[in-house]
Amino acid sequence: MKLYQIVLKDITRRKKRMLYASLGVVIGVATIIAVLTIALAGETDIYGQLEKYGANLVVMPAISDIDVGLGGLSLGTLAVGENYISENELPQIRQIADGMIREALNIEDEGDIATIAPRLYMNTEIKGTSVIIVGVDPQQEWQLKTWWRIRDGEYLERADQALVGAMAADLLELNVGDKIALNGREVTITGILEETGSNEDYQVFLHIKTVQEAFDKEGLVSSIDVRALCSACPTSDIAGSINGNIPGVRAVAVKQIAETEMGMMEKVSKFLLALAGITLAVGCFGVVNTMLTSVHERIRDIGIMRAVGASRNQIIRIFLYEAIIIGVVGGLLGYVVGTLLAYIVGPLIFGGVAVTYVPQYFLPALALATFIAVIATVYPAFRASKIKIADSFRSL
Amino acid sequence: MLEIKNVSKTYGQGTAKVVALSNVSFRVDEGDFIAIMGPSGSGKSTLLNVIGGLDYLSSGEVVLDGKRIDNLDENDFVDIRRNKIAYVFQQYHLLPSLTALENVMLPLTFCGLGKGEEKGLEILKGVGLGGRTEHKPSQLSGGEQQRVAIARALVNSPSLILADEPTGNMDQETGKEILGLFQQLNVDGRSIIMVTHDPDIAQHAKEIIVLQDGQIIDRINQKGGKQ
Repeated sequence: MKLYQIVLKDITRRKKRMLYASLGVVIGVATIIAVLTIALAGETDIYGQLEKYGANLVVMPAISDIDVGLGGLSLGTLAVGENYISENELPQIRQIADGMIREALNIEDEGDIATIAPRLYMNTEIKGTSVIIVGVDPQQEWQLKTWWRIRDGEYLERADQALVGAMAADLLELNVGDKIALNGREVTITGILEETGSNEDYQVFLHIKTVQEAFDKEGLVSSIDVRALCSACPTSDIAGSINGNIPGVRAVAVKQIAETEMGMMEKVSKFLLALAGITLAVGCFGVVNTMLTSVHERIRDIGIMRAVGASRNQIIRIFLYEAIIIGVVGGLLGYVVGTLLAYIVGPLIFGGVAVTYVPQYFLPALALATFIAVIATVYPAFRASKIKIADSFRSL
Repeated sequence: MLEIKNVSKTYGQGTAKVVALSNVSFRVDEGDFIAIMGPSGSGKSTLLNVIGGLDYLSSGEVVLDGKRIDNLDENDFVDIRRNKIAYVFQQYHLLPSLTALENVMLPLTFCGLGKGEEKGLEILKGVGLGGRTEHKPSQLSGGEQQRVAIARALVNSPSLILADEPTGNMDQETGKEILGLFQQLNVDGRSIIMVTHDPDIAQHAKEIIVLQDGQIIDRINQKGGKQ
């Protein structure tokens, strides 16, 4: 019989006490695992977005909001500036984007490099429901939206055609071939998009010329999406150059937005991890307390073991073996509970982000829990080893 | 083999001072079976604890095989508990989570001799418990538990067995069986010091040392003891 077998047999007799001892570790580890799993899901989501839109930058009208108030009372904000960008700016935007990409990647070809997709957003009613109409350059838009898939029909090509988002088609009961009236004009639905999970699902896409004419906005666009050649292209520099050279517009690189989001996420994660650390420290005191109670309860057993030849080191080892078992059980339960917590809380925090369990966290969870349990048991084990045999029998 | 020289033990100080043992001296040789007898509070259990290193003495010496052992701390006493002295307690003191066999093997485990199953079985058979090896203490009678405790004391082949009221929790018949077992161990060559308050039980020893108020007041040689 080995020392650890004595511990295992004793633990099976005191299962409840052991579970209680591991509870502190479980809560601490579960919190850490939940925070890390949720943070990873959020980061993965942002990286996914970056992968998808990383090469993009968006050019919008430079509108600023000013606070309107009376005395100390705020009456809301007022948008100041033009709501549209002139189409005339498109060649200069192309020139800046292509020029900087050529320079960065040493490209000598004089042809177009970046995808420049202008958009004009308008609100209208279809079948009595308010819908966002988006005027697009079909060719440039298709190059930009690499993730678009056509569910029914064909892609938009001509000025009298329309492409409908999946949810808009379902909600408004629109099918390929249906006709939509648009300020006295009529367009035919040529295709319906597959669901993308974004607000594009609720929009209707038309040729930009059609929207400009129908809504009397000739020569104007609401925004311009620019897709550089690659994720490594200098999109932030292009945005900076556009901002510096073209008045009345504001260009933002998607990468910058993602980096800002990532920075925020890191700060929140660090704060939550600090809280989880405090929880773990409290759990550690819980283990100390439970183990001290255990020492007191087993004072007779400790005396018996010492009387039949156990050394102080062996008594310490017995308690440390117990700590390892508490740690392993605590780590295992902590990992499972933390992952479940992440599955429940993650989508609530990050609005539907898909949380997946992280097997790489399993062993560190066990190691952390065991470390905490062992550290928490050192003092009680030392106390146990100091118990005098005669005192242990006298205490009965 | 064992010499007790002028051993005294006091508890407390000043007006609360209690003298548990006062100048106790005697000698135990190989093959001795000594019963320490006396009324409750006479200091007999304290004497056994002092001999076995479970308690410190206030003055005097305990010498085992020519070496002083009274000045060793509890941890230094580990080797003596593992090899030379074993205890049998009135309350049996078995670990409730272990079976009879595992309890017997416990001293071997602490000596680092993990595989002692055969030896444990043999000794359990020797004390008449060959059929109860897998039973937990709660499934055994008082007499059986004490047999397990005796088997545990024997597993490391100690030269001296210290027994504190080993039959104190048993009926007369079971007590007799246990005493018979001690006598057999003595015949096999082990020295035994047994504490009891019962003169009938003390009569089974070869020599009786009578304690009163911490002092030896009589020594009775019984020429082999009552069978």
